[in-house]
Amino acid sequence: MPGILSKSLTYHIQELKMLWRTIRSMDVMVHSSSFLLPKIHQPAKTPANNYTLVVLNQHLPRFMPRLWAHAKLRICADGGANRIFYEMPQMTNDQDCETTRNRYIPEIIEGDMDSIRPEVKRFYSNQGSTISDKSHNQETTDLHKCISSIRHRTPSHEKSDLCVLVTGALGGRFDHEAANINVLYVFSDMRIIFLSDDCLIQLLPKTHQHEINIESSVEGPHCGLFPIGAPSTSTTTTGLKWNLSEAKMRFGSMISTSNIVDSEKVTVQSDADLLWTISLRNLT
Amino acid sequence: MPLPCRQQLRPGPNRQRLRQLGSTKKRKKGYAPSTRPLVKGSNLCFLFVKHKYTNSFRVPCSLLIISYSGSAPHRPRRPRHATSPPPGGDQSAIAPMPLPTMTHSSSFLLPSPPAEAAAAADAVAYAVIVLNQRLPRFASLLWTRAQLRVCADGGANRLFDGMPELHPGEDPDEVRARYKPDAIKGDMDSIRPEVKEFYSNLGAKIVDESHDQDTTDLHKCISFITRNPPGPDKANLCILVLGALGGRFDHEMGNINVLYRFSNIKIILLSDESLIFLLPKTHNHEILVDQSIEGPHCGLIPMGMPSSSSTTTGLRWNLDNTSMSYGGLVSTSNIVDDKKVMVTSDSDLIWTISLRNHT
Repeated sequence: MPGILSKSLTYHIQELKMLWRTIRSMDVMVHSSSFLLPKIHQPAKTPANNYTLVVLNQHLPRFMPRLWAHAKLRICADGGANRIFYEMPQMTNDQDCETTRNRYIPEIIEGDMDSIRPEVKRFYSNQGSTISDKSHNQETTDLHKCISSIRHRTPSHEKSDLCVLVTGALGGRFDHEAANINVLYVFSDMRIIFLSDDCLIQLLPKTHQHEINIESSVEGPHCGLFPIGAPSTSTTTTGLKWNLSEAKMRFGSMISTSNIVDSEKVTVQSDADLLWTISLRNLT
Repeated sequence: MPLPCRQQLRPGPNRQRLRQLGSTKKRKKGYAPSTRPLVKGSNLCFLFVKHKYTNSFRVPCSLLIISYSGSAPHRPRRPRHATSPPPGGDQSAIAPMPLPTMTHSSSFLLPSPPAEAAAAADAVAYAVIVLNQRLPRFASLLWTRAQLRVCADGGANRLFDGMPELHPGEDPDEVRARYKPDAIKGDMDSIRPEVKEFYSNLGAKIVDESHDQDTTDLHKCISFITRNPPGPDKANLCILVLGALGGRFDHEMGNINVLYRFSNIKIILLSDESLIFLLPKTHNHEILVDQSIEGPHCGLIPMGMPSSSSTTTGLRWNLDNTSMSYGGLVSTSNIVDDKKVMVTSDSDLIWTISLRNHT
């Protein structure tokens, strides 16, 4: 009888809702863009202290030297090595290219090696970079290979402290951008942040509540939240000019774009994986 | 054939609805339970079953594990492809109605389009919209191809600065007068005063929509064009948008969302490297590929909603009732292998193809 069935179902739902809220309230993921600050202003406590930088094959963002300084490990994905070799000298105050190139040596160059120029490969190989040729594997993108090897390389006790910063993942060919965004979803248990001159993006997995600390000297005020993989039937935020309150979001209907950060801390809670984006100020 | 991606369990209709419909409800095509959980290492996740007759409610997975296998993502109910059952006959043996076919072509990128296409009664009427990013190298070509040209706010700055750069050696003001927009629309917070004055003096319609902060500039432009279509009717309208990709990510997502919101209109977003457009699930799609201007790299992206079944022909790695989703399989770096690519899917997909350098 539908009446009795719906009553017991409702009761179960209420009970499990309370249980779910209790469990979920314990899983808070904290985010911060302190890696964008000049290194001397690094706060004592950040959610992640171990930064790995991955450079893809697009124009370097203006603040690349700052990211390089924060990172403990720098990996160039194939043609990303060309970018470091040719574009880094334009970003520094060094007297000549050679000084800059000797200062910015990636530890690893990884990928299918179809974009890296021979002279660039030779230079970094001579300087001690590990060349990791993965051309036999054509199933995954260069970024996927890099993230996969970072994960294998990181011991489990250090994984929660790890944050991967990626440049050159946005813009360019649209299917490349889509594949790169898919890497965020495939490796959803890792902190991975895509950076461009204009903005940064990262995944906020639905398994956690999120607390995003805003460094207003380097980022904001424009921000947004996108249900790229699947729609959200309930998203709640605080700290935004136009907050969401158990709001539904889906492509074809409402998604949060051109929102404004109104506080030093933004919280996000959702039933769907969301992509968070925030604009970057003019950093050099 | 086993797939390398994670398959998803679609939520079954909730038990209450099953009782209302009767147990003879036919399972939808390709409705197979998954054996692998979607979310790694997590035992509890929400399953959202959106119900037509009652409010949507959450049913945590732990309850459903008793009756279903695997964990399930929340998903709203998929609308049926068929609009209504045929009169009479057995309800449980409804054959899905065949989908109409939508044809797509990038002939607007050809240096000189086929003469018969332009003269045909159902010739495509093009409108072009310029957003606030650097003009792509083929902007002049599209401008001459279009019958209606609109700038979205700061797009007018890009037109003003960018067109003379695309025509070096010519007098800048002559170039600007030749490539003037019919309308400039938006909230007018980016357009420079001298640019606004220049085009206003040339007769461009300036439409200030700063009172409307609920929609993006692109949305406003598309609405304007649909109310003032260049051709005899909207059916043959194709809107080309420059500057919608790249730049600030929330702008790009907002622009892609416009494709979904105006899914009944052909809108193509173009950049120097690639173009994208929506393939609505309501149609089979026939994409005519001209390898002199586009390709070979292409992709199909299930943006905003997973697809449980997509099928293609004409690609190097075709899909065959394949599931696609973020977190699983997304078709990227595919290759166009034929002049015609066919796509059918149970979900709206974004098609993308690379543009050749000399385009």
